[in-house]
Amino acid sequence: MGRRRRRVEGAARALPEAIAALSRSLPAGPSPEIFRRAKFDRPEAAPVLWQLLFRVLSPLAANNALTDLAPEAQARVVKSALVSQGYPRSAMLQSPEGGPQGSRELLLALSWLLARGPLLEQLLAQTRVQLGDELPQCECDTLASRGLPAPHVETERPVDLRLVEWMMGKLRFGWRRLISSQQEQCALLSKIHLYTRGCHSQKRLGHLSVAETEMLRDPESSQQLLQALESENARLEAALEWRHRELVFWQWMDTVLDACWSESPAVTSQPTVLPMISERGLGALELVKQDLQALQEELREAAERRREAWEAQVGGLGRQPEWSTTRKALQEAVERELVALQGSWEPSSNPSQPQRPHRLVRSQDELPGRQGLQAAEVIRTLSAQEASLKRALHQLQSQCQRELARLAGALPGLIWIMAPGH
Amino acid sequence: MLGAKADYLLPMDCARRLVAEMQGALDSCAERQRQLERSLRVSRRLLQVWVRLRICLGVGSVWAMPWLPCLCREPARTPAPEPETKEEAATPACTPNAQDLKELELLTQALEKAVRVRRVVSKAGQRDRTPSLTSASNATASGATAPAHSQVPSQAGSRASSARSTKGVQRATVSARSADPECRLRPRGDRTQVGTGAQAIRPGPGLRDQQMAPAAVPPATELFTLKEKGTLLQLPVAFRKAASQNSRLWAQLSAIQASDSTDVTRAAKTEFLHKLQTASGSSSHRPGAAEVEAQAQSLRKACTLLRLHMQKELSAAPTDWMQEYRVLLILEGLQTIVGQCLHRVQVLQAAATEQLPGLRLVEKPTQASSLCGGELHSSWSPELLLYSSTKELQTLAALKLRVAMLDQQIHLEKVLMAELFPLINTQEAGRPPWLALCRAAYSLLCEGGERFLTVLRDDPTD
Repeated sequence: MGRRRRRVEGAARALPEAIAALSRSLPAGPSPEIFRRAKFDRPEAAPVLWQLLFRVLSPLAANNALTDLAPEAQARVVKSALVSQGYPRSAMLQSPEGGPQGSRELLLALSWLLARGPLLEQLLAQTRVQLGDELPQCECDTLASRGLPAPHVETERPVDLRLVEWMMGKLRFGWRRLISSQQEQCALLSKIHLYTRGCHSQKRLGHLSVAETEMLRDPESSQQLLQALESENARLEAALEWRHRELVFWQWMDTVLDACWSESPAVTSQPTVLPMISERGLGALELVKQDLQALQEELREAAERRREAWEAQVGGLGRQPEWSTTRKALQEAVERELVALQGSWEPSSNPSQPQRPHRLVRSQDELPGRQGLQAAEVIRTLSAQEASLKRALHQLQSQCQRELARLAGALPGLIWIMAPGH
Repeated sequence: MLGAKADYLLPMDCARRLVAEMQGALDSCAERQRQLERSLRVSRRLLQVWVRLRICLGVGSVWAMPWLPCLCREPARTPAPEPETKEEAATPACTPNAQDLKELELLTQALEKAVRVRRVVSKAGQRDRTPSLTSASNATASGATAPAHSQVPSQAGSRASSARSTKGVQRATVSARSADPECRLRPRGDRTQVGTGAQAIRPGPGLRDQQMAPAAVPPATELFTLKEKGTLLQLPVAFRKAASQNSRLWAQLSAIQASDSTDVTRAAKTEFLHKLQTASGSSSHRPGAAEVEAQAQSLRKACTLLRLHMQKELSAAPTDWMQEYRVLLILEGLQTIVGQCLHRVQVLQAAATEQLPGLRLVEKPTQASSLCGGELHSSWSPELLLYSSTKELQTLAALKLRVAMLDQQIHLEKVLMAELFPLINTQEAGRPPWLALCRAAYSLLCEGGERFLTVLRDDPTD
C-alpha cells in the first residue's frame, strides 16, 4: 500500500515537473497549473494558451508588429497556421476566436504540435543566438519565393504586362546589388578573421567572429549578447529536462483525450474541416511532377540504350562464377551510393549535409585536427549544381524560343528580328 | 516596328498570380539585401579605428574610460592596489575623424606629462595643497568623482603610476572609486560587468560636455585598428563560459533527438497522434498547405540532385566493363528513385485534392512537416566551414548566390511559361496587342528580360 502511494505521489510530482520544464523551454510558457485546468476545459486557461500557441506558431512575430495584435486576431493567426499544417480537429478550428472556451482543445493542439516533430528544438533554433559567421542559407531558399506566404497583391484591374517586365528588371538589378554587397562582406569578414587570429578561446575556431569582435568593441552589445546567450542556455536546459521527462506528459495527454472522448463522443458526426491547400502548393507540385516525368524519360532512354549495349557486349560473362561475386559487390556498392543520395534530400537527412549551420573559419595553416567542411569541396558541389541549373535554364529558354518562332512563322508578313546572340 | 507602343493587359487572375510571384521574389531579394547591409555596417565599423578613451580627473586620478577590457591578455596580473581600480570599460561607436584623433593624441601626451608633474607636486605638498590643485578639484566637482578625490589624491596618483608601468597595451587604469558605485562591487577580472560601466558614463562628445566641463581634462585616447592589435583581443570569461555551455547543450539536445526514434516516448507520441486523428473523425492524414509546399520543395530538391547525378554518370567515360555495368546499375537505380518520387507526388496531389478519400500518406508525416518549410535539422550544432583565402570565400559565396538565383530564375521561367503561352495561343494573332504580348514573352522567356525582339511588318501593299 505504502509503496504504491509513494509511487503515485512520485508520479504526481513527475507530471508538474515535466510540464514546468516544458514551460521554461517555451517562449513565455505558462505555469503547469494552466495545463491542469485546461484538461478540465476551464475557461481561465484559454487566454494564456491562445497566447502561447500564437508565440509558438509565429515565433518570428515576437520582433514585429504582430505581437500587438488583438487576441481575436492572434487566434485567427493560430487557427490558420494550424489548418495549414494539417491539424485534424474541427472542434478547435471551429471554436470562437480568443474567447474563454475550449482550453482543452488548445491543449490538444499544442500537444499535437509537440508530438509531431522537434518543436522545441525548432523554436530554439529559430531564435538562436548566432555567434559565428555563416554564409547566408541559400539552400533553404529565402531568396526564392517558394515557401514564403504569398504576398498580398492588390490587383483590382488588369495589369499591363510591362509591369511584369519592369519587375523582372528590378529583380535583376537587385541580384546584381546582392552579389556586389556580398563580395564586399566576404572581403571584410576575411580581414576580421585574419586580424583576430588566435584570439578565440576555443582552439578549433581560432579567430573571432564578427559578433564576438563587435561584442568587444561595444560593451552594450556585449551585455546584450551575454544575456541572450544565458537565457538561451536556460531554455536549452529546460528543453533537455523536458526530453528526459516527457513520457509522463504523453501518458497524461492520453487521459485528456479520454476525457474529451467521453464528453463529446459525437465528434465523428461533425463535418471534418478539410485543410485548404493553396493554389500555390498544388502549382508547385505540378511543376515538380513535370520535371520528374521529364527526368524519368531521359533516364529510361539512357538506361535502355546502355542495357542493350551491355548485354550485346558481355552476354557470355554471366556464366563465369567470379562474375557473380563481382556483380553482387557492384550492386551493393551502387545500392549504398543511392541510399546516400536519397538521404541528401529527405528531410531527415544526415547531419553532414549542408542544411546544418556552418560557422565560417579561416584556416591559416592546415591544422590537422580540424574537422569541418572544406570550402573547396563545397565550391565543387556548387559549381556542378550551377552548371546543371544553367543548362536547365537554357533548355527552357530554347524551348520557349522554338515555340515563339513557330507561332511567328505561322504569320505571313511579319519579320522577327531576334536579339543579337541568337 | 510594331508592338512597341501597343499595350498588353493581362487578365486579372493571371496578373494577380504573376505579380504575386514577382513581388515575392523582389521582397525576398530586398530582405536579403537589408540583412547584408546590416552586417556590412557592423563589419566596416570593426575595421575602422578603435578608440579607447582615458580620462584624467583631478589630481592624478586617472579615469580610464572603461573600454575595451580585453585588450590586455593577462588582466589579472595588472598590478592594482584594490579590486575596484581594475575596472575598465569601453567606448562604443564613436569614430572621430583624423583631425580629432590627432588632437586627442596631443592632449593625451600633455596630460600624461601633467599627471607626472602632479604626482610629484602632490607628494611634495601633501598637507598643503596648492591652489591650482584645488581649482582642479573644483573643476571636476561637477563630475561624478568629486567626493572621492579630495581624500585620495596621492593614492590615486600612485595608482596611476603603477598602472602606467604596466606592460602591454593596457595603458590606463582606473581610479574613479566613487564614480560608479557598481564598480566597487565588481570582482576583479569579472568582465561581464563591463557594459554597465559604459552605460553609466557615456563616452564621446556627450561625455566631454557633461563631465569634463570647464576644466576640460580631455580624454586620453588610444587608437588602434583591428589590424594592429586584433590578435591581442580576448573574450570575456563569462562569455566564454556561456558560449561553451551553449554548444554543449545544443550537442546534448541533438544526441537526445537522434536516440528519440527508438524509445518509448516516440511510441507514446505516435500513439497520441493516432488517437487524436481517430478522435477527430478523420481516419487519414490530410496534408496541410505547409506540408504540401514543404514536400514539393523537398521533391524539387530531389529532382535537381537526381538530374545532377545522372549527368555526372553520363559524362564519365567508362574505362572497363565493370564501370560500364556500374553506370548502368546507377541509371536504373535512379529510374526507380524517380518513380518513387513521382508516386509521392501523385499521393500528395490525390490527398490534397481529396480524390482518393481515406488514402494514407505513406511518408512519415511527423517528420516531413516543420515550421520552416520542411527543413529538419537532425543536428543542431554548427559545423565548421573552412576556407583559406578571401578569394575562396568570395567564390564560395558568389556561387551560393548564383545557385539560388538560377533556381529562382528557373522557377519564374516556368511560372511565366505556364501563364503566357496559353494567352499567346488564345489571342487573335497578328494584332498589336498580340505582338506586344509576343515581344514581352520573348524578352521574359528567352532573354531573361535582358533583350528585346524587333518585329517588322513586311507589308506587300507598301
